[in-house]
Amino acid sequence: MNIVLMAILFLLMLYIDKKRGLRLFLSLVFNFGILIVIFYLVALGFNAVVCSLIGCFAVSCIILFFVNSDNIKTRSSLKSISIVLVILSVLIFAMAHLSRIAGFGYESYEEINMFSYDVRIDFTDIAISMILISLIGATVDSSIAISSALYEVYENNRELSKKELFTSGMNIGKDILCTTTNTLMFAFLGDFMTLLIWFYKCEYSFAEIVNAKTFAAEMIRILFSATGCLIVIPVTAYITACAIKKAKPEAENAA
Amino acid sequence: MVYNVVIKTYGGKVVLMKKIILVIMLLVSAAALIFVYNDDFLYSRQIMKIKDIETVSQDISQNSLGLKEEHYKRRIKGVITNGSEKGEEIEMIYNETYSSVVTDKFRAGDKVIIDGKDIELKRDFYLAVMVVIFIDLIFAVGTFKGLLSVVSVVINSVIFYCGLYLYISGGINLLFLCVVEMLVFSVLSLLLAGGANKKTLSAVAAVACSTFIMLALLLIVVKTTKYSGINFNEISFLTVPFEDVIVPELLIGSIGAVMDVAITISSAMSELIDKNSDISSKALNRSAREIGKDIMSTMSNVLFFTYLCAGLPVFVLAIRNGFTLRNYIASNFSLELSRFLAGSIGIVITIPISAFVSIKIMKRGAKAK
Repeated sequence: MNIVLMAILFLLMLYIDKKRGLRLFLSLVFNFGILIVIFYLVALGFNAVVCSLIGCFAVSCIILFFVNSDNIKTRSSLKSISIVLVILSVLIFAMAHLSRIAGFGYESYEEINMFSYDVRIDFTDIAISMILISLIGATVDSSIAISSALYEVYENNRELSKKELFTSGMNIGKDILCTTTNTLMFAFLGDFMTLLIWFYKCEYSFAEIVNAKTFAAEMIRILFSATGCLIVIPVTAYITACAIKKAKPEAENAA
Repeated sequence: MVYNVVIKTYGGKVVLMKKIILVIMLLVSAAALIFVYNDDFLYSRQIMKIKDIETVSQDISQNSLGLKEEHYKRRIKGVITNGSEKGEEIEMIYNETYSSVVTDKFRAGDKVIIDGKDIELKRDFYLAVMVVIFIDLIFAVGTFKGLLSVVSVVINSVIFYCGLYLYISGGINLLFLCVVEMLVFSVLSLLLAGGANKKTLSAVAAVACSTFIMLALLLIVVKTTKYSGINFNEISFLTVPFEDVIVPELLIGSIGAVMDVAITISSAMSELIDKNSDISSKALNRSAREIGKDIMSTMSNVLFFTYLCAGLPVFVLAIRNGFTLRNYIASNFSLELSRFLAGSIGIVITIPISAFVSIKIMKRGAKAK
């Protein structure tokens, strides 16, 4: 079934744009490869947080430089994404340790009862790296949207100062915000559906749902993804504005 | 040309108002956090604040791969903070492991909920912290528009939950409910995001068309392939027949992305028609595709990572239990992959559909004038 879906997706992507579609499809294959490598290294016992940070960086490079191209926009995006990753990993580290969302909740026991639990790998790290990996896609998405739109604004209006560029970046950010939160929320709701049905059938009370590890872990994951897209907006707006202003005066002087 | 952004220089008044509201929001958030931290009296179960933890015994077990796992038996002492026995000290024994696959590591100062012999951390405070950080940030970055999107998310979740209620207690077909829900979601969120105008109308129409095409496509694929290659053990928390939930899950997962694409394309189209009302349908179509290229690459990546990383914990557990990489990938990841594929198909399909729909709707409007 997946192969059929994959074929449909590939054809549709080619229909929209041949060159770009092919690149995109290839990049997804690469990303899948990187994801599996990260997963495997983590499973072998390498530090999960370090692995996933490196992986996130590699993935952003692929999305930015392979699917798009190497230019001032993608470079400022990469810079902003790295900054956001560093800021967020501190927060995620604290939150994962405090809220004890590592491992599996009661609801998943059936799924994992065929395994031995004596695996000697700290699942807190696994939880952290899961949150990191899940936010990278959304963060790259909003970052590239802002930097390319900002560049477009500058192209059409070259007299803008750094501060005005930043303000207009924030305005673009507002438009992206609503749609990105929607995308993320529904993606998770699709994931959540069986869990919610479970809560219903087993007559969980509100207090039980809120404190359940399964629910808390998912919620924290969504909220971190959304926070990633949020923080990246001002960071990208600022860095892109600086980069454009720094690169352009020389070009103008030369001309 | 596509990104026609007007730079708004806000008047001083608006900035001041935003600052005042931000301060108020921060105060309210602080109050809410303090309340949630001390809301023990709302619980019917007993809650204990841990004072002291000591290790009773410790041993090491080995699994079939020779991995040594440390197990601890610990005794916690704490004070009950709610109910009739408030203030009394109690002691409990619990197990802890190094990996904490199914156990938790507690520390002094934690509040835990006592459920018979089990204890569960009181996590509501941490959830509240996350929600508060998110809402304050979204206001700081997106002001009122940001808050509006939170409102639409909340309303949509409530509708979603009501839909599930109808399914479970009313026995109404879940797929039917989901399609209806999706139409309601799109009308609501797009109205809230864009206001009642032609842009919103064409976005809603595009979402509706894409939903039905997606639905038909998924049903055809599912019927012809008979779910081959999907490992149903992977659907966790399954309490109902899987045929009931799988297509609705795939659909609901993609609707957010579909709405996102529809609104982006239709607002770009309306922008173009506004700027040049004589623009030909062909030129519009070309620009739509140009925008579509940009969206599809980043959007499909959002879905990719959001879905696929959900498989990490089970993957680690399996590899650490002696599964080989090939075995595991062949038998797992199938569901996450189909979620991602369905979502991406939704995104890509919506690009031409919303271009077509918005050109039809807006061009007709332009002629009527």
